[in-house]
Amino acid sequence: MQIQQLGTPLTLLLLTLFFGVTFLITLSIGRKQENADHYMTAGNRVAFGISAASMTATWIWASSLYASATAGYTYGISGPIHYGLWGALMILFIYPFGRRIRSLAPRAHTLAEILHVRHGRSSQLILAGSNILGSLLSLTSNFIAGGALIAMLSPLSFSTGLLLIAMGVLLYTLWSGIRASILTDFVQVCAMLGAVVIIVPAVFFAAGGPAIFETGAVNLTPQQQSFFSSDAFLNQGAPYIAAVLAYAIGNQTIAQRLFAVREDKIKQTFVTATIGYGATVIGVGMLGVLALYLGLEPMGGDVNNLIPQLAASYLGVGFLCLFFIMVVGSMASTADSDLSALSSIVMTDIYGRNIAQPGSANPKLMLLIGRITMIVATGAATYIASNRLNILELLVLVGAIWGALVFPVIASFYWGRVTNKAFTIAVLAALAVFFPVRFGWVTLSGPVATVSDFFAVIGVGVIAGLMSFGFFGLRAGIATAFVAALAVLPLGMGFLHQYPVLTASLLAYAVSTVLCVAISLAGRERFDFARIAAETGRFDESQAAT
Amino acid sequence: MPTIFLTLYLLVWPVIVFAVLAVISRAFLGEMLEARKEGRTMI
Repeated sequence: MQIQQLGTPLTLLLLTLFFGVTFLITLSIGRKQENADHYMTAGNRVAFGISAASMTATWIWASSLYASATAGYTYGISGPIHYGLWGALMILFIYPFGRRIRSLAPRAHTLAEILHVRHGRSSQLILAGSNILGSLLSLTSNFIAGGALIAMLSPLSFSTGLLLIAMGVLLYTLWSGIRASILTDFVQVCAMLGAVVIIVPAVFFAAGGPAIFETGAVNLTPQQQSFFSSDAFLNQGAPYIAAVLAYAIGNQTIAQRLFAVREDKIKQTFVTATIGYGATVIGVGMLGVLALYLGLEPMGGDVNNLIPQLAASYLGVGFLCLFFIMVVGSMASTADSDLSALSSIVMTDIYGRNIAQPGSANPKLMLLIGRITMIVATGAATYIASNRLNILELLVLVGAIWGALVFPVIASFYWGRVTNKAFTIAVLAALAVFFPVRFGWVTLSGPVATVSDFFAVIGVGVIAGLMSFGFFGLRAGIATAFVAALAVLPLGMGFLHQYPVLTASLLAYAVSTVLCVAISLAGRERFDFARIAAETGRFDESQAAT
Repeated sequence: MPTIFLTLYLLVWPVIVFAVLAVISRAFLGEMLEARKEGRTMI
C-alpha cells in the first residue's frame, strides 16, 4: 500500500506554525516582575477550564497514543480499554488524596517538599529522585516519538526531527515555566482532541467502514474478539491497575497541576481530565483494533509505527497534517510539563530546601536554576533519545518502582505515626524485593512461589484498600483491603507468580505497607500536621506579574 | 459480535471526546472573557 508523506517544506511549515503560535501565546504572560513561586505553581489560582485542559493535555502523551493502539492490535477489542481506562483512573484516584495534600500544604511546590517537613531529607530525596528519573524518561520518550513521527512522515531524519522537537518545546517552556506549560496546553488539547474527533472516524470509513468487522474477523483469535479477554486483563490491564496509584503519586507533573489549580476546582478538573484522557486514548487505540481487523503488518515489525502507518495509508494530505499536529501536540504538552516539573523539583527540593539556608533562598537564583535545569534536561533527554532506547519499557519499570512509594507517601499525609525510619526502610526493602522478582533473578517456584503469592495477594488488598480509602475513608479502606485480599486468595495462590511483572509490583506494595505499618506502630511519634502548612510557604514574596 | 455494535463501540469515543472538548472550551472562553473584563491575564 502507498504511504503518504508530507514533504520537508510542509513538515517545517507545520512545526513552525505549531511552535510559533505556542511561543506567541507564552509572550502574553507578564515577565517584568518574575516570581519564583509562580514559575512553579502559577499562583495556586488557575481556573477550571484552563486547568482541565492542562491536566488532560499533560496526561495524554505521544507514547500513550502509540501504546493504546499497540494494545488494540495485540489484545483485540478489549485492549484499548485495558490501557486507556486504567490510565484515566490514575487521574481520578489521585483526586481525593490531592484535596488532602492541598489542605495540608496550600502553598507547597512539590510532594517531596512536603515529605521534607513531614520526615526529613532522606524521604524527600527518595521521592524527588524518583520524580526526576520519571520525568527525564518521559521527556526522552516524547522526544523519541516526535523524532520517529517526523522520520516516518517526512524525508527528514530521526535526528533532525528530534532536535526540532526538543528546541521547539524548550523555546516556549523556558519563558515562564508552568505558566507557559498550562497556558499553551489549551491550544494543544484543542488540536489533539479535535484531531481525534475527526481522524478516528475518517480512518475507519476510508479503510472500508463497518464491512471491516465482517471481512476482517478471520484475523482475530477468540481472545482478541472477546470483551472479557483474560489475556488482555492479565498482561495489560492488571499490571496497569497496580500502577494506577503509583503513577499519580510518582509523577510530579500531576502534583504540579494539583498545586496550581484553584482549590475549589480540583474535583471538576480531575473528573473532566479523567473522561477526556480515557476517551481520547481509547479512541486512538481503536486504530490498533482496526489495523488488526485489516490484517495490517506494522512497518519494520515495530508496532509503534501502526498509527502513523494507518494515517499515512488511508488519509489525504489535509487529514495527515491534522494527524501530525495531534501527535506533536500530545508530545509537546507532556514534554513541557516534564520540563516544568523537573525545574520545580530542582528549584525546591535541591536548592530551596537543601542547599539554601532556611528562609534565605534567593528567588532570582531559583529562577536561574530552574531555567538551567530545563536546558540541561533537554540536552540529556536529546542525548538519550538519540540512542533510541526502549524508553517505554524503562518508564513502565519506573512506574513499578513508584509502587514501593505509594503507601508510605499516602500514609505520611494522613497518619501521624509514620516516621522517617519507617518510610525509608519500607521503601528500600520493597525495592530490594521488587528488582530480583521483576528481572527474574529469583526463581519463583516451590516455597518461594508460595510466599510470593501470599504477599502478592496482600498487595492486591493494599491497592484496593487505598483506592477505597481515598474516597470513603479509613474503615471502608481497611474493609475493602480485607475483602479484596480474601477474594483473590484462593485464585492467587499458586497462580500469581506466573506473571512476574505483575507479581513484582504487588510485592512492592505489600512489603512497603507491611513494614511501614509495623515500624510506625513500634514507634511513639505523633506528628503535628499543622507544621506542614507553616513550613512549606513561599520562597518569593515579591509582587507577581499579573 | 454484531457489526453494528462494533461500529458503535469504535465511534462512541470520538463523540465523548467532542463533548469533553466542548466543556473545556466553553469554560476556557468564559474565563478568558472574565479575565479581560477584570483587566488581568488568565494565568
